[in-house]
Amino acid sequence: MTISISQSLIQSSLPISQGAEAKVYKAQLTPDSPPILLKYRFQKNYRHPFLDANLTRSRIAGEARALLKCLRSGINVPGIRMVDATEGVLGIEWIEGHSVRKLLPGGAEDDGSDDVDNVDVIDSVNLNEYGVSVDELMKLIGVEIAKMHQVDVIHGDLTTSNMILRQPGSFVPPQNHDIKTALVLIDFGLSYQSTLAEDKAVDLYVLERAFSSTHPDSEPMFAKVLAGYAEIMAGDWPAIKHRLDDVRLRGRKRSMVG
Amino acid sequence: MELFRFNHYVAYALLFSPVNDPGQIKKRIIDAARATGSEGEEEREAVNFSFIDASLITSRLHLETAIHQAIIAESQGSLRTKTVHSEILFGLNPTNNITEAIRRYGVSETSKALLVVRITDSSNAISNLETKMKEVVSGIAVPFEELSKVTDWEKIEKYHKLPNEVTEKADVARARALIDNVAVSSVAMKSVVQ
Amino acid sequence: MPGKARKTPLKDADRDYLALGLEGSANKLGAGIMKHSKDGAATVLSNIRHTYITPPGEGFQPRDTALHHREWALKVINDCLTKAGVSMNEIDCICFTKGPGMGAPLQSVALVARTLSLMFNKPLVGVNHCVGHIEMGREITGAQNPVVLYVSGGNTQVIAYSRQCYRIFGETLDIAVGNCLDRFARIINLSNDPSPGYNIEQEAKKGHRLLPLPYATKGMDVSLSGILSAIEAYTVDKRFRPEGGTKDEDIITPQDLCFSLQETVFAMLVEITERAMAHIGSKEVLIVGGVGSNERLQQMMGIMAQEREARVFATDERFCIDNGIMIAQAGLLSYRMGYKTPLAKSSCTQRFRTDEVHVAWRA
Repeated sequence: MTISISQSLIQSSLPISQGAEAKVYKAQLTPDSPPILLKYRFQKNYRHPFLDANLTRSRIAGEARALLKCLRSGINVPGIRMVDATEGVLGIEWIEGHSVRKLLPGGAEDDGSDDVDNVDVIDSVNLNEYGVSVDELMKLIGVEIAKMHQVDVIHGDLTTSNMILRQPGSFVPPQNHDIKTALVLIDFGLSYQSTLAEDKAVDLYVLERAFSSTHPDSEPMFAKVLAGYAEIMAGDWPAIKHRLDDVRLRGRKRSMVG
Repeated sequence: MELFRFNHYVAYALLFSPVNDPGQIKKRIIDAARATGSEGEEEREAVNFSFIDASLITSRLHLETAIHQAIIAESQGSLRTKTVHSEILFGLNPTNNITEAIRRYGVSETSKALLVVRITDSSNAISNLETKMKEVVSGIAVPFEELSKVTDWEKIEKYHKLPNEVTEKADVARARALIDNVAVSSVAMKSVVQ
Repeated sequence: MPGKARKTPLKDADRDYLALGLEGSANKLGAGIMKHSKDGAATVLSNIRHTYITPPGEGFQPRDTALHHREWALKVINDCLTKAGVSMNEIDCICFTKGPGMGAPLQSVALVARTLSLMFNKPLVGVNHCVGHIEMGREITGAQNPVVLYVSGGNTQVIAYSRQCYRIFGETLDIAVGNCLDRFARIINLSNDPSPGYNIEQEAKKGHRLLPLPYATKGMDVSLSGILSAIEAYTVDKRFRPEGGTKDEDIITPQDLCFSLQETVFAMLVEITERAMAHIGSKEVLIVGGVGSNERLQQMMGIMAQEREARVFATDERFCIDNGIMIAQAGLLSYRMGYKTPLAKSSCTQRFRTDEVHVAWRA
């Protein structure tokens, strides 16, 4: 066989998007299998091949480990469906639903657009289909991030695009529960482990910035996220809150000697 | 017979439940590995399957994932065990201990239900596969869907060292969905376990 | 943000403008004369530099560097005026580096600038060193709205313009890349002439073994101190041969270390640059700063850019390495927008972030 298993799988898949480091596809391992999302970390020719191969392998391993750790701790993340670190392919569970970005006002706009005055009414209706209000959604976000931070996983790239609200009926919902959807955290490509309040605070700050740059009048929304977060973090919250206030003042970066 | 039609490979799986005298099957596999000459070759071909304790398989996807990862490993020359069939057993076990993997997930004296799996190049159809499987395993071949009736969730939870507070809080359906997802994910990422 | 062409607030010059730029934030003392003509052209009339070079194994200390700048200031400025064929009286403004950089050298040059300002009754314009690099790079290369990788002895930043500000998208979390290279050059006793980075680049061409080093990118930021420790550790490895050896032996040579250091560090820099480009959707990248003259870095950036159908803009050592003309260029742009630095506010600051500058001259 001249072409590898994973390359052949990619060729028979549906391209979804391409980022700086990876191409994303919707695939099926067999015609009878559930769909999966393939993340293909293609070769970077500017990098020494040896370095590139090691890096690709370790990043796929890192992402997979973070996902498994989260899964095992009951955090809503996609399950892992295939790993081919040699070829740079990670396959994860396909989550049926919409990104939070698309469900909130302003998020339907293109990336980087200056104008956010065109609030999309249709997408707000969408949120109703999930049976949750904006406030409930904010709480779900805060709770899920808190659960993740409790097991010392730092996401590294929290944005409203990296959260998906599951389509009702696409999974097993908890019994005796009003909410028939779940908030799923995705894209752990920049995640790492840390117990530091500083790192958790920066994680939150990155999300806060993403909210304010994408969604108009995001302040009350983000406050609800933090309220949900604080409730779960309980005794750990004051230290992180303190750090978050620091980070907000100085920005994510320290000042630097030239 | 359940079929898994991957791009270049096909895997066939047949579920036996119950299975009679699993100890005899195990003995035959061990003997085949030791046998010499052309007789040995024939005997090894006769048992050239993956014999999996079906009570430890959570779902069709779980098995499919284990098969797919074993195929990838074989195609890259990175098998940790002797054959693609034994690699499935290795992949199913969360640790890197091969003996433990075979003991836990392979056929044993106490196996009540067995999944017999054969992987082949999709251009290489094998004739009378079901007959060949039945020649090795004495038991009742049942539809693949019966798998859910034999699953030993407690044991799977134990092998995956799942924290109890997470699964205990959830209702049965959700707990099983979670255990299944963890089991499938563990198999999928086995090659990059530290 | 790209895609939206707005009218530049900078009005066409009603006459020719001349600016003297003085730079001395690190070990280079530079003076240059920039001319902005009525027809919109910017011309470099002169660009003179003198570098304080220390013996191998030694870095430049603030006190000695300041002394060097004081000793050479008059000669460099005189040469600069002579070469340009202009007199101090014809100059419109005196631009100097306000920061960031080393305190004592910055102050010694600012003192010269203030003195000239009082003697010839010329307005002062304090310039952010990093913005100087960016504006000079844009002027020389013609890059319109690039993502800027600014890499020098004191800075490592990925910058993009947004709403009259050079926003820092990524940067080093600890030491600058030039600092990392310079310090390693000292460890293996490479010459500081013409610059440690240049000599590392030459040695790296002879290396062939890629040794594993920590690869630390974190989003659009990088961390380099761990790499420096790791590469230093190889120099006490029992396989290390300072004098070199043949290719097939299991040994580590200084050339291998230079090669490994460059390959790893530059890969990290290209990676965060690409991430910024993808983030804002830019198709241009501009490399500025002393490390930007490294050809291997330019080559790697070129491959990255090619693969995403983007263009790389780089300048040669005249403009990459710290110089006076870039200070004149950035200073003259803000002077033409009506900006002057009163004498009382002409102090220097070691910490002066790129994103603190109000880029009034861009839309």
